[in-house]
Amino acid sequence: MTHANLPQQPTFAEIAPRLETPAMKARVADLIRRYPSPQAALLQVLWLAQHELQWLPQAAIEWSAHQCKTSPVHAYGVATFYTMYQKAPVGKFLLQICQNVTCHALGSENLIAHAEKTLGIPADGAHVSADGLFTLLRVECLGACGNGPVMQVNDDFATDVVDGVVTMPKSISLTTERFDKIVAWCRANKEKGLVRDPLGGTLAGDLGHPGAEGASAQKQNSDYAPPPPALAVKAIAGTGVALTWKAAPEITELRIEHSSTESGPWAPLATCSPKDKEFAHATGIAGDCYRIVAVSGARVAKPSQIAKAGV
Amino acid sequence: MSNYYHMPKLPSADSLRVTINVDGKDVVVPGDTNLIEALRSVGIETPHFCYHPHLPLSGNCRQCLIETEGPRGMGLAIACYTPVRAGMKVATPASSPKVAKARKTVMEFQLVNHPLDCPICDKAGECLLQENYMQAGQGESHVREDIGKQYHGAPEHRFEDTKGQDRGGKDIDIGPRIILDEERCILCDRCVRFMRHVAGDEQLYIAARGDHAFITTFPGKKLDHAYDLNTTDICPVGALTSKSFRFKHRVWNLQHTPSIDPTDALGANIWIDHDGGTVYRLMPRCNSDVNRSWIANSTRAAFEALSTNRLLDGRLQGKTVTRSEALRHMMEKLQSAKKVALVSSGHLTLEDNAAMLSLAGVLGPRAEVFGGSWLPVAKPDGIALSGDPVPNRRGVSLLGIADNLDQLVSRAAEFDVVLLAETDLWFADSKQAKALEAIPNRLVLSAWDTASVKAATCAVGINAWAEVRGCMVNIAGRLQMMQAAPVSPVDALEPAWQTLSHLAGSDWNEVIEAWKFATGICSPLASIKYSAIGSSGLQLPPSGAHT
Amino acid sequence: MADTSPKVCTVNFGKGAQDISVYKSLGGYSNVGKRLFDLSQFELIDLVTRSGLRGRGGAGFPTGMKWSFVPRGGKPVYLVVNADEGEPGTFKDHFLMLEDPHRLIEGMLICGWALGVRTAYIYVRGEFLSAVESLNKAISQAYAAGLLGANIGGSGYSLDIYVHRGAGAYICGEETALINSLEGCKGQPRLKPPFPAVSGAWSSPTCVNNVETIMALPWILENGPEAYAAIGVGRSNGTKVFSVSGDVKRPGVYECALGLPIMEMLESEQFCQGVIGDLKGVIPGGSSTPVLTTAEASDAKLDYESLAAKGTMLGSGAIIAFNSSRNVVTMLQSLTRFYAHESCGQCTPCREGTGFANRVMKTVVAGKGRDTDLQLLLDLCEGFTPTTICPLAAADAGPIESFTKKFRADFEAAIARNPERAEERLHPNFRPGAFW
Repeated sequence: MTHANLPQQPTFAEIAPRLETPAMKARVADLIRRYPSPQAALLQVLWLAQHELQWLPQAAIEWSAHQCKTSPVHAYGVATFYTMYQKAPVGKFLLQICQNVTCHALGSENLIAHAEKTLGIPADGAHVSADGLFTLLRVECLGACGNGPVMQVNDDFATDVVDGVVTMPKSISLTTERFDKIVAWCRANKEKGLVRDPLGGTLAGDLGHPGAEGASAQKQNSDYAPPPPALAVKAIAGTGVALTWKAAPEITELRIEHSSTESGPWAPLATCSPKDKEFAHATGIAGDCYRIVAVSGARVAKPSQIAKAGV
Repeated sequence: MSNYYHMPKLPSADSLRVTINVDGKDVVVPGDTNLIEALRSVGIETPHFCYHPHLPLSGNCRQCLIETEGPRGMGLAIACYTPVRAGMKVATPASSPKVAKARKTVMEFQLVNHPLDCPICDKAGECLLQENYMQAGQGESHVREDIGKQYHGAPEHRFEDTKGQDRGGKDIDIGPRIILDEERCILCDRCVRFMRHVAGDEQLYIAARGDHAFITTFPGKKLDHAYDLNTTDICPVGALTSKSFRFKHRVWNLQHTPSIDPTDALGANIWIDHDGGTVYRLMPRCNSDVNRSWIANSTRAAFEALSTNRLLDGRLQGKTVTRSEALRHMMEKLQSAKKVALVSSGHLTLEDNAAMLSLAGVLGPRAEVFGGSWLPVAKPDGIALSGDPVPNRRGVSLLGIADNLDQLVSRAAEFDVVLLAETDLWFADSKQAKALEAIPNRLVLSAWDTASVKAATCAVGINAWAEVRGCMVNIAGRLQMMQAAPVSPVDALEPAWQTLSHLAGSDWNEVIEAWKFATGICSPLASIKYSAIGSSGLQLPPSGAHT
Repeated sequence: MADTSPKVCTVNFGKGAQDISVYKSLGGYSNVGKRLFDLSQFELIDLVTRSGLRGRGGAGFPTGMKWSFVPRGGKPVYLVVNADEGEPGTFKDHFLMLEDPHRLIEGMLICGWALGVRTAYIYVRGEFLSAVESLNKAISQAYAAGLLGANIGGSGYSLDIYVHRGAGAYICGEETALINSLEGCKGQPRLKPPFPAVSGAWSSPTCVNNVETIMALPWILENGPEAYAAIGVGRSNGTKVFSVSGDVKRPGVYECALGLPIMEMLESEQFCQGVIGDLKGVIPGGSSTPVLTTAEASDAKLDYESLAAKGTMLGSGAIIAFNSSRNVVTMLQSLTRFYAHESCGQCTPCREGTGFANRVMKTVVAGKGRDTDLQLLLDLCEGFTPTTICPLAAADAGPIESFTKKFRADFEAAIARNPERAEERLHPNFRPGAFW
């Protein structure tokens, strides 16, 4: 006996008209320019494909792999790893009821039993109600435990219907009555459905990842506002003057400068490595002033604040 | 699978040696490698599944646990991912009950959802799971019937067995050469890494997650690649098995003879696995400097020829005769010849070609030696094939034989006898070979009943590559040795060097005599003894490189 | 009663700060300019270190120290905000992103400047599409206002922020799994070292921080690290946003100074306003943290150190309270099922062990448990906890060990329902037959 409910897989030719559209092409290109490698856009492209087809047939997974220049089997592994990609067709309203610890403690099992009875389908995500509207699915934590037990209808949290809108008001949890209300709303709005953009809309004004295909972003300018060191320099006079500081990770070289007054003139005294934590100026006396110029590669920082040797 | 990989660092002869403390004893190990390799160098084997020296590290099987000193005291770590550091402290099960227990637990988890069907599993006998169980497991299982198992398998292959247990897929035709048993897979992802990083063609993947994960190709696609059979070698369990070997022979009955790929000039190192005079399969023999752990499917298939279309006796004017009759005829023709063309062969060993040179010496100025091949040369594939189908081309040229078959064609009229040894000119280029038919006596030594045998006036059977001992020089100038497996189809067959020495009247009995002759006439080989060649070959100095 | 606890991340809740003009009128983005760009990267890291801010995602690692590991000047540095809030019981980040997305963007600008980040990503779990929408809207507004993109505020610094929608995998909350997922792979944790700060996304230095951590930065820059460090107790500085759910009168997201007694959170009028029924236990920091009994909870405080002293963890600050009418056995099974479902399938002990533990719990719930099953569960936990790449298996062990120990009577009662148990008792040497 083989596993039940294996979906009929459409051919690519059957789904191509939905995927190979100019709008889709532009959207995919916009995603790919956001990352240093096209493969990174795979999860997002799978979302777009699933949105177009309401589920992810194998041909759509393969199409997504080609868009992201990765192997089809990689995309298949990814699509099967993540639970929100539907590998079989689902109803117009995918009702996902949380069964994790808070929701469970607060009675989600009763709700699931009620839902199964009301809709006449098991909550396994593999069945579509006779009217084609509903699929019922048990899911793990939805991240809205404060409203537990909770449900998501497609991508919307749903514990109530307020003013003709499916919503999740603060501290309102799902009950059997509210579940029925939501189901009634779905039936009444079956033409419209409950659809959102799968990636939460597009951006305007972004530049893309430097170097990515289609991106206009430049690499980070290395000479932007050189980091003034402002190192914690303490000069203590004793036998000479001892200087201590903390080195920043990006610093490659520290140049110590000396002056007898706070207003200069400054004379170079020594060059230290970023690993050094202190420097002793043997001929320094109380009242001498010191500052440090930090260097990071080719960038030279503004001088640090001035440290005056105390007694 | 991640994009992010480390290849294991393997120790070499000139690795820096460092002292580490293993189980309270100081030992000296290579300092530039991981603990699995370091411990192996001092004779401590660490059980593992996912680690493979020639694949990127994955660290998922967790079987190779050891204890080592970290910032929070001694703690468990996986040996494959722990680099050797001078002075480090390591504890193995020999001193640490914690490690012993951890390994035992991991082994139990490994077996929780694995079918216990060793008696009908073709991998039994060379299964890492069996081996590691004997080393690290042998615990009592907590599994019981009412808890049940979660066998691995794709939804479309699952079935319910007669006990009501949900099972994963069996006997899945995953490709033209390979059968997959999903349940037996322990998800070590060696095959995935092989296809991705070695073959460079990602065809396998672990789909889904948790204990529902399963190994798969893209649905509807087949695992099909020129190197795909390597996945059956590195599969630590009986999940991927080769169609050609499956259920042919129990592995513990096989004997293994080391040899060299006879189909390619890279000279991939192989094992001839045979029993009772029959070769059952060829397996890769690990050589980090040549083929690592891989051989091509085409190399693997070379054994099939050993029992096909062999020339076991002699041929005289197209009629079957005994070997001795054929040899007598050849001897007469050589003695009476005015001018003899001897054609050497890059398909034969250095010893065989040396014997031919010795024959040339006996015949004196009447003989001229030719060499070369008309077989087309392809590009190297970067894995285990150089693309040159003539395995010993470099060795033949080392012996001073020129690549001058074209001259033989143009000067065919000068000769009244041509002697070919294991070089099928009529197959390689029948048009050019036609010119040789002007030579009245065409004598052929061959292991197979080839086109050249058919075109010969007289032919005699010899031993094939698997049945002889001898050396070849690969495309990179590496001197490698093949050993003789006792698989000669009839006892009367002789290696080419022996037949040639008969024809020369010198009657060498041991291959070492041919080798000594070779080292005597060839300066790059001078004073090299068999014992110096070793199992992984001997790199000849570049001065011996042919120009 | 007015809420008197200090507010760092939730200060704009309910004020319509999703709109950039409102956010700005509340003082937002006022420091993105001279105040920020005049600080050196070192000063900024030092400032965050002095604030005592620790990672709010669960592990509590000092944020300043994490930043200081990031090498500069070589490969590009990435900032990835971890909004894959998946720990059962946790829902604070969702509301933080819905209510105050600009604060997250401002925090990312501060972190981005400190680390020299050119491109940053927010990895949002797939279920939070509403948060993705909210963020995308806010990011677009920030681009329009010149607060993102090239040459921000004339400083020469450029930053792009993208939202990356996950697709349903708890394990992607683990930072290396999250990076793999960001790269378009299965979300499986990587071997460490190297840690992401050195080699993370696309093998570049990558700073992965929780939403709440990043959202504390604007406040710290505005008010100074000393002001932040002054809030809280001991080494637990600042405020924490808690997600409270279960049997309380007013579950929800509450921010308070670290060190608040747990019972005050549950019972105070400004927070949850009391427990419904008799409190039986409290999970203090998300499903993976060991449960506290009522007695233990009575004097427990919400900070890293005092919860560690109680043998549990602050985790992500997800408090789940449950009363005596709840069935702890089925509650535990809902957790073992969760961890078995969310195991990435990479390491053997976790892949097979979490599933095994769940099947054992299933037999117990089904009334087919055996006396030995509780010990078996503990053995399994001991087996899979120390042997895996990431702490998911250990997260399964937390509730299993604590539930079976602290509510042992409930589990024994569940096992006592097994009718076959009598037979087991009669035959002390009884061993179940080999399965195969």
